[in-house]
Amino acid sequence: MHIPDGFIPLYQDVIYWIIAIIFISLALKWARNELNDEKLPLIAVLAAGIFAIQAMNIPIPFGTSGHMVGAALAAIVLGSPYAGVFVLTLVLIVQGVIFADGGITTMGANIINMGVVGGFVGYYGYTALMKVTDNTYASGFIAAWAACFIAALLCAVEMAVAGTFPLVAGLISMGLYHAIIGLLEGGITAVAIYLIATARPDLMEHSAGVSA
Amino acid sequence: MIEDLFFIERQAYGKTFIHIMDARVKIIVSFAVIIAMVAMPYSPGVYLLGLVFFIFFFALWCASRLPFSDYLRRLLVTLPFGMFIIVFQIFFENSHYAVFHSLLDLPFGIHIYAESVEFASLLLVKFIVPVSFIILLSSTTRMQDLLAGAGKLGMPREFTLCIGMMVRYLFLFASTLEKIKNALETRCFDPFDRALPYRYRLRQMGYTIGTIFVRSYEQGERTYTCMLCRGYGVNHTVSPKLCGSHRLPEERCSSTVSPNRCGSDLPAPGKKLERSEWLCLCFSLLFVVASTVAVWWSM
Repeated sequence: MHIPDGFIPLYQDVIYWIIAIIFISLALKWARNELNDEKLPLIAVLAAGIFAIQAMNIPIPFGTSGHMVGAALAAIVLGSPYAGVFVLTLVLIVQGVIFADGGITTMGANIINMGVVGGFVGYYGYTALMKVTDNTYASGFIAAWAACFIAALLCAVEMAVAGTFPLVAGLISMGLYHAIIGLLEGGITAVAIYLIATARPDLMEHSAGVSA
Repeated sequence: MIEDLFFIERQAYGKTFIHIMDARVKIIVSFAVIIAMVAMPYSPGVYLLGLVFFIFFFALWCASRLPFSDYLRRLLVTLPFGMFIIVFQIFFENSHYAVFHSLLDLPFGIHIYAESVEFASLLLVKFIVPVSFIILLSSTTRMQDLLAGAGKLGMPREFTLCIGMMVRYLFLFASTLEKIKNALETRCFDPFDRALPYRYRLRQMGYTIGTIFVRSYEQGERTYTCMLCRGYGVNHTVSPKLCGSHRLPEERCSSTVSPNRCGSDLPAPGKKLERSEWLCLCFSLLFVVASTVAVWWSM
């Protein structure tokens, strides 16, 4: 899902960067207000952990492998969509500049797809589902699946707007692939929430319903 | 990807003039090439500009005395998503061409179009050149130098602080991940072993990921507490006079520690660009701009 440089025209990259910067600024504001400026190191170390989590290859039933995005997990556990935005922004900067995974000019689009959509869909999907189902794990599973799936669809739309890949083919291929990868993201997120709620219930902002 | 972390950082500890050049010069030149390459319209001019920039990259890579096989190895890791889009491009019409001519007709009404093949090759060039310069940048610049350079170029303090800490702990989590993998292997657990039920494999991976999450959070808490113990704080500033009262060497106060920020920021040396670095920067930027304008003009 990491769009590389050259796949989106420069003027569109600028638009995505402006949108991403707005969300990054809001995430920074959240970090200052909610975490205190001095607790930023905590998020930085957590971002390193999310980076390691992303590096883990997880089997997919059809014989290939995938990896987690982690924005939904960070947003759900830390109790804010901006946590997902902040952590994924750090991760994507390091991935783009050091590992050449994702682009420099397209980083704005990647932050929107994985950080903003991942964080917001993950968090608000989770809180909305919690009100309906009152089941932490089912809510975490569906929210993380939706975050992965919607981010992939948005990625396909961006590529179509850029004229790089046709809309219908992009939506079908990206949608189908990430609908499957999303099951993995959802399953792992639900299990990880269970473990975190059991080992460190104080970390969970929404611990109601967790049978720790 | 994270397995390459130690390899990349070890490469960056070279002694060639490319390695020791100020990170700001390398960041500006790399980003200038990437922006120029991306800004070039999808036209045959991309081939020429891509060739010019790739020769430029190749000259710099040779000057850095790094094996070309290392570049190929790193390039291979970045390929999957980009190559997926490029390869499937040849089967579709796109908005950049008005007329499409079929090169090959396949069953189920699938065609390979000449224009789409051309567009796919343009995308490939636009993809390879920026990736090559990022590989060059990270292979010849230590991560902390990259960060210090980005900070001096105006990256917000919160980001330099957070990424600086993140980069330091990346190494810790890379080795933690390795230990976890070894522990799983020792217990004969292979997540790709189809003899094991899929739900069981998924649950184990979920526990492992949850463990890494909790470990990283707890590491963050410990780090934060340690920093507080050492006087870390946003509003905590240390003046040069205070440095003097603590009997710190005078040169440390004036050069390695920013006088108004040494309480909360990661210290970065305030080095100015040398004459040779200015020359490299000006020449490279002139080369990038001139070659882009020349190719654009010739289209």
